[in-house]
Amino acid sequence: MSNVNAGTATALPSGVRSAARFVFDWIPLAIVTLLWEFASGTAVPAEVLPAPSVVAGEIRELLVTGEVFSHLFISLFRISVGLGLSIAAGVLLGIGMARLDPVENFFEVLLALTYPIPKTALVPLAILWLGVGTRTAILIVFLACLLPIVMNAYNAASDVDQNLVWSAKMMGTEGRRLFWKVIIPATIPEILTGVRQAIPIAFIALVSAELIASNQGIGYLILTAGQVGNYPTMFANIVIISAVAYFAVRGFEIGRERGLVWT
Amino acid sequence: MNLDRDFDVVGALKSVYSLVIILVLWEVVTQMGMIHYYFLPPLSDVLARFFELLANGELLENAYLTLKRAVVGLAIATVLGVVVGVLCARNAAVEWFFDPIIKIGYPVPIIALVPVFMLWFGINDTSKIIMVAVGTFWPIAVNARDSTRQVDKNLVWAAKMMGTSDWRLLRRVVLPAASPGIMTGLQIALPLSLIITFVFEMVAGGGGLGALEIEGVRSFQSTLTYAAIIAIMIVGLVLDRLLRVARARLLRWT
Repeated sequence: MSNVNAGTATALPSGVRSAARFVFDWIPLAIVTLLWEFASGTAVPAEVLPAPSVVAGEIRELLVTGEVFSHLFISLFRISVGLGLSIAAGVLLGIGMARLDPVENFFEVLLALTYPIPKTALVPLAILWLGVGTRTAILIVFLACLLPIVMNAYNAASDVDQNLVWSAKMMGTEGRRLFWKVIIPATIPEILTGVRQAIPIAFIALVSAELIASNQGIGYLILTAGQVGNYPTMFANIVIISAVAYFAVRGFEIGRERGLVWT
Repeated sequence: MNLDRDFDVVGALKSVYSLVIILVLWEVVTQMGMIHYYFLPPLSDVLARFFELLANGELLENAYLTLKRAVVGLAIATVLGVVVGVLCARNAAVEWFFDPIIKIGYPVPIIALVPVFMLWFGINDTSKIIMVAVGTFWPIAVNARDSTRQVDKNLVWAAKMMGTSDWRLLRRVVLPAASPGIMTGLQIALPLSLIITFVFEMVAGGGGLGALEIEGVRSFQSTLTYAAIIAIMIVGLVLDRLLRVARARLLRWT
């Protein structure tokens, strides 16, 4: 398909060319959106499939009135706390297991037994312990994100260049200083890979917990809007949480590229 | 902590003590009444409930419902995902059409669509199966596409030079070379299929292990919830093992 516009492309400035390229690349999505727009209300009832224009209007409405923000902030709070806790615990656990045999012996069997359980299946258990609401959502996000972070930290800490550790030790760096100054910087790139893998998982865990056990948050809004038959609102909230998830990943990737200058 | 390795008995014995400690603590603390029965019933009660549900067939029946939904949905997604993924990598027009759709579709937290599928297809089995298929399609398609793109060009050229037809080329060269990546996609999709099934069952009911769990919460029978989680753990472990064995078999030549 690159030769479709190759003939004219040579004559055009690069800005125009990349803009044309961008439009060309996204035509399929425009087609699908248009089909959806026309199908809504004709091929399928409008309430079953609200047109994109209706959903877009609803999103605008939600944003302008600020209705969505209180729920969005609660969702973001839950996901940040859950993910933050799992990064802190996961990094400690992963590095601990890689560097200290007793830690590995203690936790290995527990992780091996729990990793095939989809963590969202633990929502009912979390309801038993913590009730319906924020703490349940945080616990599920925490548990769901823990394993990818532990695995990446573990693999990275096992592979730390032993020469680095030896030379640091030879120069008198021991214990805690060795941990903070040598092990952590050497494992950060892979820990960030683990966090990158954990972000989409965190969103799935968050929305699951909010669908099953919450009376606030975006997942709750989606479910209740569906239950009362307010379908444009349901679709609008799905688009909003998807956009947030997408930009969370993109933002993280851009931040990582900027931050990891030494690698 | 190599989860890929086969179980080795000596290592397992050496590292299994933490599990024993936790299970014994669970039993002792709950028998002494230090934790409310509703939050954490004694392990022995949970196991008794588990075997009771196993004996009267309730567990098997619900496990069958869950497995049917997850596995049929995953199978549909595998066929569609591999076809779309491979075509995306081999055909410019298909790539042009599907690439932006995958870019938009893949990051959607698919579980948010549960209420949509309840609206579109109801809460029956078909609705759950379609939801699993739609949700697991994306990782399978993306991995099939990326691994097909990375197939060694020299292999393809060599086969073409020897006059291999397009269909044979696909079956004998491209698909085998891409199969490790396709299996990786399946390994990502398998837990996702279970997640979607459980959440759908919890929100919409209709039987299954997820519905059984939430029924335990609603009827204040926490032993039921714990017994269902044990069953979920077994289902998860077995499916994960099966996929690893299948991967080892299929990719023996690599």
